[in-house]
Amino acid sequence: MRLTYMVVIVLALAAVVFDHLSSPSSGRAVSPEDFIGACAPCGAPCPSAK
Amino acid sequence: MTTATVTAPQSARAGDIDLLFLATALLATGVLIALVLLDHQPASAALIAGGFGLGVAFMWAEFSFTASWRRFLTRGDAGGLLGGLIVIAVAAVAIVPVAALVPKFGGAIAPLGPSLVVGAFTFGVGMQLANGCGSGTLYTAGGGSGRMLIALLFFIIGSVFGSLSLPAFLDLGGIDPVLASKYFGPWGGLTVTLASIVLAAAIVIAVARKRGGSIVPRTGMIIGGIAIGLLCIAVFAAGGHPWSVTFGFTVWGAKAATALGFDLSHATFWTWPGPKHALEGSILSDTSSLTDFGMIFGAMAAAAASRPFARTAWPPAKSLLATAVGGLLMGWGARLGFGCNIGAFVGGVSSGSLHGWIWFLAALPGCLIGIRLRPLFGLSKD
Repeated sequence: MRLTYMVVIVLALAAVVFDHLSSPSSGRAVSPEDFIGACAPCGAPCPSAK
Repeated sequence: MTTATVTAPQSARAGDIDLLFLATALLATGVLIALVLLDHQPASAALIAGGFGLGVAFMWAEFSFTASWRRFLTRGDAGGLLGGLIVIAVAAVAIVPVAALVPKFGGAIAPLGPSLVVGAFTFGVGMQLANGCGSGTLYTAGGGSGRMLIALLFFIIGSVFGSLSLPAFLDLGGIDPVLASKYFGPWGGLTVTLASIVLAAAIVIAVARKRGGSIVPRTGMIIGGIAIGLLCIAVFAAGGHPWSVTFGFTVWGAKAATALGFDLSHATFWTWPGPKHALEGSILSDTSSLTDFGMIFGAMAAAAASRPFARTAWPPAKSLLATAVGGLLMGWGARLGFGCNIGAFVGGVSSGSLHGWIWFLAALPGCLIGIRLRPLFGLSKD
């Protein structure tokens, strides 16, 4: 199990670093709720907006 | 506690410290913090640190929503459930008024409708099969439980399917979020929110007394609950919104699916501004991912500081099957139900949003079903 853990950690960390370096940065961390029209933590719209 | 394979740090002896995994956890956290600081994002570094603290606190207190709810439903023991309400009460004191009064801060809100109820119920079934909820999966996976590493994998997969299902469920209808501060003002909203928590605690205690269960939380649960509540406030201060867990899982899964050649960009969920931004941007620009990573490595550091890390054997196949099924159900349910115990229940109620209580009332019967299904997978009902 320890080997599994170490492999998962290394691969996940590498993926995160690659994703971060290859993606545009927004300047600050955001949540979907920060966007206009968001009505839930995932950014779903409000029923009244439909 | 959440799983049988993770135990909380006790008083550590020098020989018990797992230096390899302690160093790995600290190094990984340091790398992530360095990456966001290089991008001039101190708030992101604070979110990682806050998540790290949450991982340590959960691990130390053996804080578990899943086991607490199961003990309440099967034995009438209310201590754990009351510990969860302590977290919410502490967090609400800051979140309700600040979200209402300070620009750029907002509470965890969500529409009320079939999606919320179906999602929370499904999540409740899944959390009992997997033996961990959103936060429980994170800290036990980080703490060395291979079983919960499997739960996390299937949680992620389930949440991607959930993101594809959510728009259809929202089409079934619903009403806009109901927020206490909107009707009663910042301080009136806080009063109503705290009153609702006291009322819930009174009902839980009454049920426990009637069933002969305990009503006093463990000391660790009380101290841990206060610490976790304060850390919820810290995460809220750094991120502008209450702590949430599962949106990060959805983003990780969607990014992995994209890397494997699946194009999710045209799926309705991923065309909404928030999810679209998260899918296209850096994973370290998503607030829930930052606290998730911090929590995993915080729990890992806490576990490795007290004993050899991940030395237990893999559980039986039936148990792993329950974990996989539970993880899928939790992932799917979390997307439909607008979060897990943390994002929907803790975040929702501590924001004064009615959806938090509806989530709780829908998840409890789901837990009952999940508890009844546990023996099919060789798991006890306790």
